[in-house]
Amino acid sequence: MNNGDNISFTTELGMEKRSMRVGVPSGLLYYRYFPLWKSFLEYLGAEVEESGKTTRAILSAGVSKAENESCLPVKVFYGHALALKDRVDAIFVPRLVSLEKKTHTCPKLLGLPDLVRSAAEDMPMVISPTIDFHRSLWFNYRAVYSIGRIFTSNPFRIIWAGIHAWRRHREYQKKLAEGWEPLLAMGKEKGSPLCEGRKLRIGVIGHHYNIYDTFTTMSLLERLKGYGADIITVDMVPDAWKEEEVSRLPKRIYWNYERELVGALLACARRRLVDGIIFIISFACGPDSMIHILCEQEKRRLGNIPMLTLVIDEHTGEAGLITRIEAFVDMLNRKKKREDREKIGELVAV
Amino acid sequence: MKIAWPHMGSLEVVLTSLFDEMEVDYILPPPSSQRTLEIGAKHSPEFACVPLKTTVGNLIEAIEKGADTLIMVAGKGPCRFGFYAETQRRVLEEAGYQFRMFPLEFHWDKLFELVKTINYLKQGRSWARFVRAVRFALHKAYLVDQLEQQALHQRWQDKQEGATSAALKKAYQLIRESSSFEELDRARREAFQLLYEVPKDEGREPIYIGIVGEFYLVLDPFFNLGTEEQLGRLGAYVERAVYLTDWLRPSGKNPVGGVPDRVIEEAARPYLSHTVGGEGIKSVGHAVLFKKEGFDGVVHLLPFTCMPETIAKGILPMVSKDLDIPILSLVIDEQTGKAGVATRLEAFADLARFRRKKVNHRGMLPAFRTHLA
Ligand code: SF4
Ligand code: SF4
Repeated sequence: MNNGDNISFTTELGMEKRSMRVGVPSGLLYYRYFPLWKSFLEYLGAEVEESGKTTRAILSAGVSKAENESCLPVKVFYGHALALKDRVDAIFVPRLVSLEKKTHTCPKLLGLPDLVRSAAEDMPMVISPTIDFHRSLWFNYRAVYSIGRIFTSNPFRIIWAGIHAWRRHREYQKKLAEGWEPLLAMGKEKGSPLCEGRKLRIGVIGHHYNIYDTFTTMSLLERLKGYGADIITVDMVPDAWKEEEVSRLPKRIYWNYERELVGALLACARRRLVDGIIFIISFACGPDSMIHILCEQEKRRLGNIPMLTLVIDEHTGEAGLITRIEAFVDMLNRKKKREDREKIGELVAV
Repeated sequence: MKIAWPHMGSLEVVLTSLFDEMEVDYILPPPSSQRTLEIGAKHSPEFACVPLKTTVGNLIEAIEKGADTLIMVAGKGPCRFGFYAETQRRVLEEAGYQFRMFPLEFHWDKLFELVKTINYLKQGRSWARFVRAVRFALHKAYLVDQLEQQALHQRWQDKQEGATSAALKKAYQLIRESSSFEELDRARREAFQLLYEVPKDEGREPIYIGIVGEFYLVLDPFFNLGTEEQLGRLGAYVERAVYLTDWLRPSGKNPVGGVPDRVIEEAARPYLSHTVGGEGIKSVGHAVLFKKEGFDGVVHLLPFTCMPETIAKGILPMVSKDLDIPILSLVIDEQTGKAGVATRLEAFADLARFRRKKVNHRGMLPAFRTHLA
């Protein structure tokens, strides 16, 4: 149905097949799929340019351009796209419709390529394959293939690029699951892993593009490490556990990323993986507004693991955020000490 | 067992007819009011969309009046509407109310559960009776929509302000009171007569305004703060993108609105090439179509934080510029005041009138969506 836009790119570019510079905005799905996209595009001979970490300038450009009612990550994404637009021949914004049958990503992601197209008058061409695993494999294959055709006319090269990219993606996913932040997992930065046997353990639950964005969350993860806490993210909870949790719920959750989120949160609570949970939501996020109450209720049923909900937007003040996090960590520390003492008490009594 | 459901435009006419026919007890929550909004917003998640907050308010007021069985449609996304029933249930439980909630999912996978639920709700009435009642109720809905459309088309000619709205109210009453197909037929004739007989001022020139947006807002005058009536008063011939019947009948043919889904999506394609849930793609598509049909402006209604319509809002400026048609996006939440909306609509109507005189060919009528009975 939407192959129209894929095919048109080939014609737009005509027969000219020089090395093209493709920009990838470093927001939203970037944190999950960048290695895949990059190796695919580079294998095909494109030059990949990314917009880099979110900065104050990027954020304010995004905020001034995006709809006021939008959620923070989409505003940030606008900023990244605008930062790239003069430097590249094309911007790569895939339309990720669904990751498995009968689910969807968020509506905002469904409309993202069109939003980017209308973000500025002089937007370069937007490459947006439609990936939808609710449909057949053939549909998705065609989408990927037609992207490949922009760069090369050799079908085998496209297929190889796909296989190659998929391998890179698996490696990357494994690294994420082992507790490396995206930039460390991509080998762009050096630092300590999320888990290395610190005295506390905190589950930081939220969309990957929120928790890994060091600017909008004000380096939350680094800070927590500094306070002596190990961190569990959604990526680190095994998929099977997440699936198990969501399948227990009375109503099927049909948003892909919310399924992961809820599953990870409940698995953390049920299996006592953590001492406390920090739940990060961006203001005006549609799906999260609906599942927050679900998480609270279900979590309560699983025993009371302390939870701090942080709602972030572009006006979030650093000082206020830090105070709340510090207070939460202090509380967890006290609780832990008390529990340890009780345990020792029991042992002594025996 | 006393059944209740949240308000949504003229849905009330349909469901009361259905339950009356089957002689099943129900409770109509009081009409949405400021209080509804306030208690709804108090209990609901902070940045949930307004329709969720008001429906929660409706349900609470229904429970206060004695309802114990709540029904609500549910779905499979991607917009939040499909998850409403689940969230409402949790919100109400959290607030400590006693009730049972029955989400109705109209989907092949859920057919069995749906049948079971309906079987329970119809309390021993026969299936044949149920089917008859549904058919009758849908007929009423269709009629109500047609009347509403007629009112939208003629309000600008009112000699006396509010005359059409008053006639419409009386017409509704006629429809509500009829309890057989013959009576409904008579009521239809009388109702249309009522509307046609409203004294008209023949000397006026209308402007043509289309309304697009989230269906809750478009369908319910309480939510949209009477946008349609206000536009009518400002001298606008109004047409809207969605009607209740179009929404109730999933065939995609839209018998009242008159434009099939396929055509709408085709029109939207240059700007938005994929559905984004809710009415998102239709808002864009209809804006394009309204322009083609010669309308002078489009009013886009969206709730604060609504996902599909926020996307549409991001894209509509491009449509407006490309096709040269003014588009006014009105973001509405529980704090939006009627006065603010009125001023913006007035300014917008002035702009549309100016353009009708200067830019658009004066006197040329838009190609109407002809489908009136
Ligand atoms: S899931 Fe929430 S935060 Fe993510 S794009 Fe959608 S609305 Fe924005
Ligand atoms: S269309 Fe918008 S307002 Fe309506 S339920 Fe969906 S997100 Fe909420």
